Amino acid sequence: MKTLYIDTSSDYLYSGIVINDKLVSSIKKKYEKDLSKEALPQVIELFNKANIIPKDLDKIIVVNGPGSFTGIRIGITIAKTIAWALNINITPISGLTAMAISCNTNTYKMPLIDARRGYVYGAIYDKDNNEVIEDSHINLQNLLNKSKDLDNVTVITNNDIDINLKKENYNPDILKIVNYFEKSDGVNPHLVNPIYLKKTEAEEKAGL
Amino acid sequence: MKDIYILGIESSCDETSCSIVKNGREELSTSTSSQIDIHENFGGVVPEIASREHVKNITLVIEDCLKKANMKIDDVTAISITYGPGLIGSLLVGMQAAKTLSYIYNKPLVPVHHIAGHIYANSLVEELKFPLIALVVSGGHTELIKMKDHFNFEKLGGTLDDAIGECYDKVARVMGLPYPGGPKLDKLSKEGKPTYKLPIPLNDDSYNFSFSGLKSAVINLNHNEEQKGKEINKADLAASFQKVAVTSIVSKTKKALKDYNINNLIVAGGVAANSGLREALIDMCKENNIHLSIPPLKYCTDNAAMIAAAGYYAYKLGRRADYHLNSLSTTSLQ
Ligand SMILES: Nc1ncnc2c1ncn2[C@@H]1O[C@H](COP(=O)(O)OP(=O)(O)OP(=O)(O)O)[C@@H](O)[C@H]1O
Ligand SMILES: [Mg+2]
Repeated sequence: MKTLYIDTSSDYLYSGIVINDKLVSSIKKKYEKDLSKEALPQVIELFNKANIIPKDLDKIIVVNGPGSFTGIRIGITIAKTIAWALNINITPISGLTAMAISCNTNTYKMPLIDARRGYVYGAIYDKDNNEVIEDSHINLQNLLNKSKDLDNVTVITNNDIDINLKKENYNPDILKIVNYFEKSDGVNPHLVNPIYLKKTEAEEKAGL
Repeated sequence: MKDIYILGIESSCDETSCSIVKNGREELSTSTSSQIDIHENFGGVVPEIASREHVKNITLVIEDCLKKANMKIDDVTAISITYGPGLIGSLLVGMQAAKTLSYIYNKPLVPVHHIAGHIYANSLVEELKFPLIALVVSGGHTELIKMKDHFNFEKLGGTLDDAIGECYDKVARVMGLPYPGGPKLDKLSKEGKPTYKLPIPLNDDSYNFSFSGLKSAVINLNHNEEQKGKEINKADLAASFQKVAVTSIVSKTKKALKDYNINNLIVAGGVAANSGLREALIDMCKENNIHLSIPPLKYCTDNAAMIAAAGYYAYKLGRRADYHLNSLSTTSLQ
């Protein structure tokens, strides 16, 4: 079983290739603006390091949101094109779920991505990574209010968010994420699209 | 000689398009997903929505294009891609797809400037004869370009403010015509007479254009008449605007052809669909013994066939990009 993992939903490119339960190549690198230029060359580098070619892949897992719209589109377009060319399925996953899975703690988990102006993309998962509060684009205070009856919550984030809870940095455990979705058959690549969790300003203004 | 098949991808604005063109001249298939209906709700292209639509459609148009041509990507020689200029979020969807295909199928990647694409739409009609003057009239450009040979572009002049297509769209909007207004304004002008007096734009010795003064004049006229409670004759106003705009473009074009002693003119871009401009250019070229090429309407607006056609000549010239190729929202023609 050969799986390619791609997450471009933040300023970071997180990508890796898992072959038979082993992470054989991976990258975690920050890209402020050159992601569109660097993403594919970096993925190619992963194939080379893993000593396989795209046609060897069985499966692609891609983060379809939430986060940077442009970033997500870059990762998804690469994933869709590879999967379409190879005639294989894609398993689209939430980046917030990936954050929860990567975090080893016995508490509730609150993955957060800064969405500016007091808003975050966030969710709450229990220690077994079951959703307690679904992925939302939400005012941080609202999310905190919703979580106040839960004792022991760990926040997972790479952003500078001022919050009075135990905090962990996000460091994706690609092998764990890939294994977590081991049984997923995925969907046809044509059907994979970003989950923005947020309408465009133009749509909001027009009341659409 | 072996036939060369180029698969072109275009996503610079609100059309996701894929084409296969044989030897730079013969369109085998095109699949385009247009977003006009969606952006109509907003009175113009909304960049974020355009990007979202491109991601939805990109693999679908590629698949559809290949199906129509009854080909596989293995059968194509190279992949050409619009790298700019355009909306950055839109451009980079096509770019990621093109780079990925190029990698997986091990096909050369040929970068194409969007305006080179508009110009080479003409080669889908007839072989380009050099030297020539290319008149580029589109939503974002109004330029006169001299070409001595393939991909040899010398810009003689361009607009100092609004592009002609942009000007059409803005004037149409003020006159209450739905988006995209250019074609509708064109149609309306045929029902009227040029009775309104409007200023002639930038009537000087350069090859430059200026349309913002004309635009303001139409907008002010429309406004003043409304204030006076007078019914404006929209068809007449449209005809007046079109006459002045077309006259300005044709006279500068004529001057360039004359000054450089060139007798081939090609027209490119969405506004080449304009009926008044077409008629006036045909007349001017007949009078001056100029060979004129204007592509059919389907090649005037954004489409991937023109990117594949340009891609062929770029490929023949050895132009290649590696997987680090990036999209550029602004970039000069080369
Ligand atoms: N018959 C017509 N008369 C006037 N304008 C027209 C006509 N048909 C199309 N247009 C205008 O052409 C423009 C679209 O052309 P095109 O698709 O070439 O532009 P673009 O791709 O937006 O800009 P660019 O190619 O410069 O980036 C629009 O402004 C549209 O209103
Ligand atoms: Mg165009």
